Amino acid sequence: MRCAELESRFEAVADGSAELSPDERAHVASCAACSARLQRARDIEQWLATREVPEPPPSFTAAVMMRVGREKWRTERAFDIGFNLAIAAGVLVILGSAIGVAWSLGLLDITIDADLLGQILSPQLEARVTAQLQTIVIATALLASALALWWWAETAAE
Amino acid sequence: MKARGGTDEHVLLARCRQGDEAAFRELVDQYKGLVFALITRSIANRARAEEVAQDVFLKVHKGLPYFRGESRLSTWIYRIVVNALSQERPDLAGISLDDEGDGRPKWEPASDDRAFGDLVLRDRLQKAIEQLPVRYQVLINGHYMKGMRYEELAEALDLPMGTVKTHLHRAKRALRRLLETEYR
Repeated sequence: MRCAELESRFEAVADGSAELSPDERAHVASCAACSARLQRARDIEQWLATREVPEPPPSFTAAVMMRVGREKWRTERAFDIGFNLAIAAGVLVILGSAIGVAWSLGLLDITIDADLLGQILSPQLEARVTAQLQTIVIATALLASALALWWWAETAAE
Repeated sequence: MKARGGTDEHVLLARCRQGDEAAFRELVDQYKGLVFALITRSIANRARAEEVAQDVFLKVHKGLPYFRGESRLSTWIYRIVVNALSQERPDLAGISLDDEGDGRPKWEPASDDRAFGDLVLRDRLQKAIEQLPVRYQVLINGHYMKGMRYEELAEALDLPMGTVKTHLHRAKRALRRLLETEYR
């Protein structure tokens, strides 16, 4: 019973934050198990207090900064790829819309024909183009701004 | 609040958040000693320990924009260290420091570590420390490290200040018992 009670106090005794009473000291002196435990606790305490502190290698900070730079580059690259893909998708949508508009105007049905010039310049077709003019202008503006953004992103990345 | 090395912590953090590489380099220089020592004392493989220490600073770099300064910078960094060590030894990560039970260790040392033979006490102790729960490892390794503040250790391990000493004694007792049973 005495041994069990004392066993949980040896670490405090070893680091000096507790002391054994004279009775307890007498027990430890006469008990081989407790004596060995206390000695081991003192050995551990001494070892922990005098343990060598490992130093980082001189290149440690540079290695961290290199990995930080690499990580940053990867993130920027992923962003660039995402941005370019978004722009490409936007361009495809705009081109698709332009083709759709052209198709709806019947421009895609034009074949090489002797009357081609006359058809294009015909007042009827001119009126249809005029009606779709707003859509065409918006699509062209969108395409131009997408291309400008793309150009700006590429220039900034360089 | 002053960071280690003297620069005002808030100023240093603000510069780091603005993407100032020199400021982050300064931060690494200030904390690398303690971070590296804490990790190297728990991971015997030096190359792996260095890699984990670098990972800690990468996580610090990534997390800086989200660090709101509710705790000290040092405490936050030591928490990242504890998490990194826990990921390294998931088997020793979740063991509660309060559960001492019947006094026997609740964790099992890895089987290949048992045949330890007649190595000297220092080697046996080092090996035994590596078998302690991660939070015990950090407590023991940090407590005996010059420059580590008591309150930083308590905060990083989520321990009330008044219980640090008790937990430290428990950790050392667990260490002694490991030596008595597994590494005789």
